[in-house]
Amino acid sequence: MQQSATNQRQQYDREDAELLKRIQRADQRALSSLYDRYAPVLYPFGVRMTGSREVAEDLLQDVFVHVWEKAGSYGQHNGSVYAWLTCICRARAMERIRSTNQKRRGNEGGGGMSRGSSESEQNIAAAETIMTLKGITEEVRNSLKSLSKLELRLLELSYYEGQSQSDLARMLRIPLGTIKAKMRRGIQKLRQVAAPEAK
Amino acid sequence: MTVKAEERHAQLELCIPYVFGRLNPGNRKQFEAHLATGCEQCRVELSGLYEATALLSLLLRQEAPPSGVRQRLLGRISSKRPEQPRSERPQQQQQQREKPVTPSLRPERPWYLYASIVIGILLIVALIIFVNQLVGTTGSQDKKISELQSELQQVQEALGLLQAERVEMLSLASVVPGTAMYGKVLWDPAKRNALLQTSNLPAQPAGKQYQLWILKEKKQYSVGVFDMVSGKSNTLTAMPLPVGDTTGIEGFSVTLEPKGGSSQPTGAVQLSGGKK
Repeated sequence: MQQSATNQRQQYDREDAELLKRIQRADQRALSSLYDRYAPVLYPFGVRMTGSREVAEDLLQDVFVHVWEKAGSYGQHNGSVYAWLTCICRARAMERIRSTNQKRRGNEGGGGMSRGSSESEQNIAAAETIMTLKGITEEVRNSLKSLSKLELRLLELSYYEGQSQSDLARMLRIPLGTIKAKMRRGIQKLRQVAAPEAK
Repeated sequence: MTVKAEERHAQLELCIPYVFGRLNPGNRKQFEAHLATGCEQCRVELSGLYEATALLSLLLRQEAPPSGVRQRLLGRISSKRPEQPRSERPQQQQQQREKPVTPSLRPERPWYLYASIVIGILLIVALIIFVNQLVGTTGSQDKKISELQSELQQVQEALGLLQAERVEMLSLASVVPGTAMYGKVLWDPAKRNALLQTSNLPAQPAGKQYQLWILKEKKQYSVGVFDMVSGKSNTLTAMPLPVGDTTGIEGFSVTLEPKGGSSQPTGAVQLSGGKK
């Protein structure tokens, strides 16, 4: 089962690499195909990070304009195309969050981007209605069972909201050492899912 | 440039905070300088971390963005060309030099030479005026080209769907009395691509968008939003289906929702169709 999911992921990687080669040759249909494959993942990702559908739409365009212009700069050292896209999307989102926070601080003296409790648990159930990247999504969902609620919550707060470990310790009233250990363990578990053959 | 083993180990510790954006600007710059030295250990570590953290976004509920986003994207890239990798860039800069100008001895020139220069200048001025007028219309032409490219893209996607081995279809009928609206949804169960065709829908009011919903197991899922361009009575919109198994599809509906769409239908149903 795990083998087939890994094969599926490798198949995606091969197809993605081929699409990027076509994009380098200014093939708009290739960009469209890449968009169809990943926009349904990157769009809610942008919404989750920025808290705004409108901003997420702009973000999504920025990501794929970047891909269009810089497809030639992608190399195997960037990891999978999906990881590369997520990386671009997150970096662009963080830029926007920082500039929004700066403006907000100017107006009211601070404030985070916290948006309530963990959404993952309710979304795990919803994820099964989605087909794009289905095999991989299921694999990730299964892997969640090995992550504790706290580990997942810490990863989300850190990843989506850029919370520092000391901020998390203060906010959740948990010793900093525990935060560090839990996050490290959570990342380790995710890495095993990302590259099961590595362990 | 080599780095000592202990130093490499110390830098490895920075990979996680780097990926999570927790390094301060100074440390980040220092770490990026270290990466620029080509440290293989850190490269592998970072690559693994990016792969791992990217999985977190797969846990979010997937949702297709409004169809207008793709059109705007295609409009934005239509005037851009992808950059070529450095190794493939043609080396042509040195070819651009002008030919050397040979010094003239200023021989005596007849009057008709001066007359032809004046006529030449007048022609250039006329040409500049003509080009300026042409540029004025080029802007609107570019917009039109961008729109046509979007439409062509939609048609190509429609044709791609129709070439599928198996295509299913459901008709949508108007639920607004006294209107002649209708539509249909065609979908490829294997690739889970759908094509929405609508006719006679009025242009959506300001701040609103039409949204297509899929009904499966008594639950409604958003397929995507679309716009009616004023002056056009037909639309053709390709959208990926947000459901895993298309065998349980019970029907489709189109509602009017706030711009950007809603997570669940909130507006008036315009079109609806279901399996008997």
